[in-house]
Amino acid sequence: MEVQLVADRIELEVKGLDFYYSGNIHALKNINLSIAKNNVTALIGPSGCGKTTLLRCFNRMHDLYPKNRYEGEISFNGVNTLAPETDHIKLRSRIGMVFQKPTPFPMTIFDNIAYGLKLRGIKKRSELAERVEKALTHAALWDEAKDKLHASAYDLSGGQQQRLVIARALAVEPEVLLFDEPTSALDPISTAKIEDLVGILKKEITIIIVTHNMQQAARISDWTGFMMLGELIEFDRTDKIFTAPSEKLTEDYVTGRFG
Amino acid sequence: MSKFDEELMQLKQTILRMGAMVETALKDSVRSLVERDNDLAKSVIAKDHQINALDVEIDEASIRLIALRQPCAGDLRFITTAMKITTDIERMGDLAVNIAERALELNEEPILKPYIDIPRMRDVSQRMIRDALDAFVRRDKQLAMDVIIRDDEVDDLKHEVLRELLFFMIQDPSTASRAMKISFVAQYLERFADHATNIAEMVIYLVAGKIIRHMELPAQDS
Repeated sequence: MEVQLVADRIELEVKGLDFYYSGNIHALKNINLSIAKNNVTALIGPSGCGKTTLLRCFNRMHDLYPKNRYEGEISFNGVNTLAPETDHIKLRSRIGMVFQKPTPFPMTIFDNIAYGLKLRGIKKRSELAERVEKALTHAALWDEAKDKLHASAYDLSGGQQQRLVIARALAVEPEVLLFDEPTSALDPISTAKIEDLVGILKKEITIIIVTHNMQQAARISDWTGFMMLGELIEFDRTDKIFTAPSEKLTEDYVTGRFG
Repeated sequence: MSKFDEELMQLKQTILRMGAMVETALKDSVRSLVERDNDLAKSVIAKDHQINALDVEIDEASIRLIALRQPCAGDLRFITTAMKITTDIERMGDLAVNIAERALELNEEPILKPYIDIPRMRDVSQRMIRDALDAFVRRDKQLAMDVIIRDDEVDDLKHEVLRELLFFMIQDPSTASRAMKISFVAQYLERFADHATNIAEMVIYLVAGKIIRHMELPAQDS
């Protein structure tokens, strides 16, 4: 891989990462890659290739289950997040995550966003209101939600719920957002809205997205990593991956001639 | 073979068919000049619309494939290459028509001199288009490079022809009209070879993913 990123533009650096699920299943093998600041990095690859597993390493989601094991290092602004002393809760507010299916809490739209803020000790109503508006605006949901802030989050459409979840993640002002197939449950219009949103959000945060939709990776990402069987096969500029990849395996995958 | 692969194969076949037609058009146009065969010249002109029709067919098929299949990587390079080289092949067809038109005019007048370098230029150009398309089909970068290098040979021959014709015109101004027409033919052949070179350059993009147009020739590597 010839890709060189300038050091001060690197947000996250994965160095020699191996990951084992409980039962010693070797899911990631010697992963090395750099995530550029204020860029969108897409991870693509066939089912079971390890892309979601890798995504979940970034905010230590695997620690929710016992006996999962990391080896190697993920450097986040110079600090190894895989070190045992890492505060997972704090890490996850700096590296937020949005899942495949919208996961609003069973409460009002307002409270969905205020919840995380309250946990962080923000009590003042005016400040909460301000932060909620800011987050909803950021997630391009304010205009649609401002008149029903106290309605249940379940009253929103699927696409709106997904933007609500993004707003909730944004409210605590993360540095990185991880997207795990964020539009696979959405219609094309809602998908386009989320994709546009990703383009806007990257001005302020760093985004890593796992997607099965290769055209989506091509449309929204700056960098693309192709994974297979737990290995990172190729990592390069997205336009390079989709016009002239270096590896035969990548070529076969992006042209749909796999296997 | 998947449906998509079949469609790509079909596109390739159409390009080859178009290339073969242009090769014949070139051969016949020069022959109609050398052998003073007006019927042959007329048939070259009459058949050009078939080449044009294939040009449209290839463009339409390519656009359809892009819209419906969203190709990328090697497939994308193949389809965009197809769209570009079809334009070159079509122009080559037009040049063969131009040669046939000059042949019809020249055949009306006495022979200025026996044609020697013109058929030579034709031979080299014809090989160039054949090899360029062969390189396209086989994704053969080396052969494409070889075609690009051969362009110089055609350029040299053209200068040779023009020099000779100039000599005729100086010696006997009454030959000017014929000499001009023959020099046009040399010009057409030279441009024909240029189009073959364009195709070869596109083949290198197809294989290596690198656009080499408007560049000095890269150092030869495998």
